[in-house]
Amino acid sequence: MKDLRILRRDPFSVLTWVGIPLCIGLLIHLVFGGSGGQAQPQGVLLLADQDNTFTSRMLAGAFGSDPLGKMLTVEKVDAAEGRARIDRGDGSALLIVPKGLQDAFLNSRPYRLRLFTNAGQRILPKIVEETLRGMVDGAFYLQRVAGDQLRGMDSGREPSEADVVLRAIRTRRLAIEMSRYLSPPLIGLETTVVAEKHSASAANFFFPNMIFLALLLMANGLSTDIWKERTMGTLRRLAMTPASIAAFLAGRVATVAMVYCAASVAAVAAARYLAGVTVSNMAAAAGWAALSGTLFYLLLLPLAIYSSGQRGADVRGNLLVFPLAMAGGCFFPFEVMPDWLVRIGRWTPNGLAVVQFKDVLLGTVHPSHLATVLAGLAAAGLLAYLLALRGLRGAFLQ
Amino acid sequence: MIEVEQLRKSFGELTAVDGVSFTARAGEIFGLLGPNGAGKTTTIGCISGLLTPTAGRVRVMGHDAVHDGPAAREALGVAPQEIALYDDLSALENLAFWGGAQRMRNPLLHRRIQEVLEITGLQDRAREPVKRFSGGMKRRLNLACAIVHSPRVLLLDEPTVGVDPQSRVRLLELVRSEAQAGRCVLYTTHYMEEAETLCDRLAIMDHGRIIAAGTLAELRSMLAERDLLRLAGVFAPAAARAAVERVEGIEVLQADDSLLILSVAEASRKLPAIFAALAAAGADVRGTTLTQPSLESLFIRLTGKELRE
Repeated sequence: MKDLRILRRDPFSVLTWVGIPLCIGLLIHLVFGGSGGQAQPQGVLLLADQDNTFTSRMLAGAFGSDPLGKMLTVEKVDAAEGRARIDRGDGSALLIVPKGLQDAFLNSRPYRLRLFTNAGQRILPKIVEETLRGMVDGAFYLQRVAGDQLRGMDSGREPSEADVVLRAIRTRRLAIEMSRYLSPPLIGLETTVVAEKHSASAANFFFPNMIFLALLLMANGLSTDIWKERTMGTLRRLAMTPASIAAFLAGRVATVAMVYCAASVAAVAAARYLAGVTVSNMAAAAGWAALSGTLFYLLLLPLAIYSSGQRGADVRGNLLVFPLAMAGGCFFPFEVMPDWLVRIGRWTPNGLAVVQFKDVLLGTVHPSHLATVLAGLAAAGLLAYLLALRGLRGAFLQ
Repeated sequence: MIEVEQLRKSFGELTAVDGVSFTARAGEIFGLLGPNGAGKTTTIGCISGLLTPTAGRVRVMGHDAVHDGPAAREALGVAPQEIALYDDLSALENLAFWGGAQRMRNPLLHRRIQEVLEITGLQDRAREPVKRFSGGMKRRLNLACAIVHSPRVLLLDEPTVGVDPQSRVRLLELVRSEAQAGRCVLYTTHYMEEAETLCDRLAIMDHGRIIAAGTLAELRSMLAERDLLRLAGVFAPAAARAAVERVEGIEVLQADDSLLILSVAEASRKLPAIFAALAAAGADVRGTTLTQPSLESLFIRLTGKELRE
């Protein structure tokens, strides 16, 4: 009760702890637009279509349909306006389609498209350029293979029934001739969608690590708080009463667990509602985070108690917490870490916990595996508690 | 009742308490007087169970402080030298916590908290965080937390350090009233006047040992009505010592380049002879202080140094 009252008197520290994961959630929300999906750049392709034929409209349509359509908005402009806009950096690229595109395409004549790109942007102009290059190559081969048929369609008059039959026969012959090269395909491609329900969004990727980084930092700060009791002389005074030091320590751990519960609920809620992280079971995820945080606190507590002072405890805590965070997948996800470091990091307390946390979030956790990890972590926590108790009863009091 | 027998406490090579024995009875204030580092706080630590004695035995109300610690501590109320309170909590909450630590439960605890707040004059500020209190108020609350559970034995370790005169008077009255209520009070201090006015019996400690013990009257009699004469100036210590020792009834307690402390019977009559002897020895006396027999003069006589050194 005493620890809870002290926390109530100092709400700023509690808000700070709870606020850390919320801030992370907010930042991820802002960075990734809150959708939780893959971030995609948005740009404008200025198109000056001076040809205005079926072929040039096909070209414009290609940029306007998915997947390019999600990244680019095609805006029709005249060449002069487009040039002025791209010169002042308004737009990702300007494509000028001079008159004669369809004629050149059908009759295999040289032709020049003009593309102006915005030097201030890196990705989108390159996408436009590469897409256009692909289209030009495609048009060349299409023209080589089916040039006669294409030219036949450009006679400018309504085809007769005989023409239609003739073109159908020619197209069939072309298909038979091409099938010698194309069918059956020598290389088969089998596509399997793995765990389709798992959204590999950026928020899913980073948020769990951020939460566990916050839990670790909180544990470091909370564990060195024991030195306040030492400095104030209250722990020595308590040792002169019939009250048990074990009960005192248990009370502190319970208070820390409550703080972690509040922080974890806030963090998981932020993950779900601000950052759009997949959270299959909020209570389980918050519970696991709170349990892990309390365990981190217990593991860091003996380190603080066996230090020579609060300053020493801070230094030791930081010396341990930051490498643990780095190796244990809290700074960077395991997915981007080198294999040798992942092999080590997965056996750190935070590494073990964060892997399970991700599984809990996605709903893919194996109960037996979770129970094993939980038992291991609980044993480590109990050992740390006993070590802390021994320290508190010993030199820490003198 | 506190019984201490041949108590010894060492920290490595350092022996902080060395063979201390005394008994403090119910209804009396027993003073432990000594300079900083004399071993008073270590003695309190051993009695309260905070420290384990290296040798010897401590009993509180018949309970061994080591082997029957919880029972001994249940009888104790301790006001440590440092103000050991939770600054973020109010006086009320601190009292509730420390009362709870002494196994008191409501409604008795609640009633006792109100009584203690009234006794210490803190009832008007009971709900304020302690960090807003003055030093004197914190000291009073520190003592209040020690008596909230009505202990039979009170250990007060320099409870008036850094307190304004008004708060000191109030605290001393409070200690007296606790003793009058039948409690055994062990009171440590390095203030002579406090010990003289407050304590029924005293033990003077230095370097971890008790060098004198008894009632104030018994201790004063050890001085045999001799005055303490302090002479400041420029001295050749050996020559000055030899010169004054030729005057009858003088004992040299301390002699150095700038200070000479003498224990003198009927000092006012012997002053002319002392000055003449010092002048003959080439001493230059620049200041003289004559003190009536007191605990301080006894301490200087026993240890050869002043209590506040």
